[in-house]
Amino acid sequence: MPAELNMALNIGLPLLTIVVAYLVGSALERRHFADILSREDEMHGFPVLSFESVPEDWRVGSAELVSGSIVVSLDYFKRIIAGLRGLIGGRVKTYEPLLDRARREAVLRMSERARARGFDAVINVRLETSRLANATRDGQGTAGIEMLAFGTAVKLDRQPVT
Amino acid sequence: MKFVARKPREGINVSDTHPLAEAGILIVAVSAIFALIALLLIFLVDIVLLFVSAETEARLFASWVPEDLVTVEENDARQEDLAALLERLAARWPDSPYTYRLEVSQSDAANAMAFPGGLIVVTSGLIDRAETENELAFVLGHELGHFRNRDHIRMLGRGVALGIVLGALISGDGGANLGLTVADLTALGFSREQEADADEFGLSLVQEEYGHVGGSWRFFERLLDEGDAPSRFLAYLNTHPATERRIEAIRDYAKKRGWPLSGPTTPLNW
Repeated sequence: MPAELNMALNIGLPLLTIVVAYLVGSALERRHFADILSREDEMHGFPVLSFESVPEDWRVGSAELVSGSIVVSLDYFKRIIAGLRGLIGGRVKTYEPLLDRARREAVLRMSERARARGFDAVINVRLETSRLANATRDGQGTAGIEMLAFGTAVKLDRQPVT
Repeated sequence: MKFVARKPREGINVSDTHPLAEAGILIVAVSAIFALIALLLIFLVDIVLLFVSAETEARLFASWVPEDLVTVEENDARQEDLAALLERLAARWPDSPYTYRLEVSQSDAANAMAFPGGLIVVTSGLIDRAETENELAFVLGHELGHFRNRDHIRMLGRGVALGIVLGALISGDGGANLGLTVADLTALGFSREQEADADEFGLSLVQEEYGHVGGSWRFFERLLDEGDAPSRFLAYLNTHPATERRIEAIRDYAKKRGWPLSGPTTPLNW
């Protein structure tokens, strides 16, 4: 293979991968955020609380553990930028949308499920994150993250007195 | 007061820096830092070289062949003739600390390289294209010039230094492998001054050997003539300076020294 073609392939292919990853990754991210926003509007008014116990004036009929989880990964472009950031330190800005998406999606899935099953609210909501690592060939990097939202869904006997 | 549930403000947990802007800033900053480190390492290599004599170098690399850079061809009949020619030229530089070895590398690209420990590697592509012994003598003399100035080991040191920096960069950025190797870096080439110095020294050896410098840069002129097929010579042109200017500089130097510009050339045996 001629040297210049070899060189072009060696540099061109990874660059192409990065460009494609950037375009596709950004489009997917935009779409996901749009989806999250519309579903949040949908769920608006459904109480999702971090209180450990029900407010005194709530009369709870039944309660159940509900959870929602999502596994989501960063695109190649953003991962490289994050890698560069890792060299000099500072805010890893390219990871922020990923985590924001994951948190909101997990909470949405949990609360959507709770409402679909007829519950009135979710209390004691907690978030857990775990990293799915060692998926890249050199054992470094992050394959994706799992975000788990869980809480206690409660059904009220009657509307709370105001 | 009635409680009204409101949605939180958007974008609290996400910076509004565009990822491309972030990429630009980071690439510039990281490149600047690594360029600085690379420059420091190169400077360090030059300093270390002051303390490694040519004799020590020759001893350390006595039987070393850079196998990742060249594929040495064992049974090229022309190797012996070339080695004999190299020996004759090297004899014109009596206080050379090296014992020279010559190897032929199987490659279509026309190129010649000097490596630590007195190793000169000539590609079969270069031998194929040479028409007279004088041309090859100048090429070999040029490589000897690199040994005299110790360009070869400086370049290797720089290649290793840059390799270290690049390695750190590649392993640090989450797996973006741009496919550059130490070999690519070593082939980046010497500076124009280094090449000019090597040319002048090579030419003086040719002059002493043949009594004239005629025909010695004929090889480069042919490279120029075949300019419409650049890929075959790309290797040589990449690691050596712009040929037109180079030929001019060589000719000027020969004129200045009063060396005859033409004379009988020695044909090759093959």
